[in-house]
Amino acid sequence: MEEFLNANQMYIVLLIVLLIWGGIIFYLFRIERKIKELERAFESKNQEPRTQKKG
Amino acid sequence: MKYVRYGAIALITFVILAGIAVPTVRTPQGLFEFPSIPGLGQKSRNIFFHVPVAWTTVVAFLVSMYYGFRYLRTRDMDFDVKSVSSAGLGFMFCFLATVTGSVWAKFNWGEFWNWDPRETSIFILLLIYAAYFALRSSLDNEELKARLSAVYSLVAGLTVPFFIFVMPRIMTGLHPGAAGDVEGKGPVLEFKMSGNMLFVFFMGLIGFNLLYVWMLDLRVRAAKLDYSQLLKQSK
Repeated sequence: MEEFLNANQMYIVLLIVLLIWGGIIFYLFRIERKIKELERAFESKNQEPRTQKKG
Repeated sequence: MKYVRYGAIALITFVILAGIAVPTVRTPQGLFEFPSIPGLGQKSRNIFFHVPVAWTTVVAFLVSMYYGFRYLRTRDMDFDVKSVSSAGLGFMFCFLATVTGSVWAKFNWGEFWNWDPRETSIFILLLIYAAYFALRSSLDNEELKARLSAVYSLVAGLTVPFFIFVMPRIMTGLHPGAAGDVEGKGPVLEFKMSGNMLFVFFMGLIGFNLLYVWMLDLRVRAAKLDYSQLLKQSK
């Protein structure tokens, strides 16, 4: 593996760029999940008065 | 939105894989070799990343203008949120295109900055949109802020095609496609992309645009949460 990478150094660049890209994807998905949680929390908070009236 | 997400991930991953790993050779044979471009060498791979990022800038600014127009027609705050979120992303992509272009310019043209017509026009575009955010942050009244910045986004959006597509083509410069540069024949670049390069390039265009759509969705949703929180506090 190390020999191959030493002989084909472009693949080291490829590896690094893929790692960075993976990090960006991971980060975007985390924001996605966080926003979804906030949206849910916000919706349930907004509906509280109505459910209380019904109860 | 699910397809947008996975489409962006798949396409950009493909462009990174193909754009970096496929070797460039003088006489390419088959799909898995790119022709080497005289004068560019390995740097020709930048085309797959630098150009789509610049292209996404245009899309983002025009979308911002579109939502600005929609806001003026309906006075719906949602459109203002979309307009400003898109302008923000456009500014980010514009900045990235400028920086990546500058690094590339250092190694192809000798200096980080050469005041090539395209460099000049994208710099002016950055200034125009920096003024857009300065305008927004200088106003406290949400309604006034939305209205004025929507009008500004219309005017700013109208200049985008001029600065990106017209000015760099009617003036002589260092970028391919400048005035006097016959496509594929020079003098700036004596080359046309081969079929497999074009394919990777277009996948990059679509991929980065999908990434923009995903990021815009995230930004708009976050901004809406923020805005509705603000409305609640003011009540």
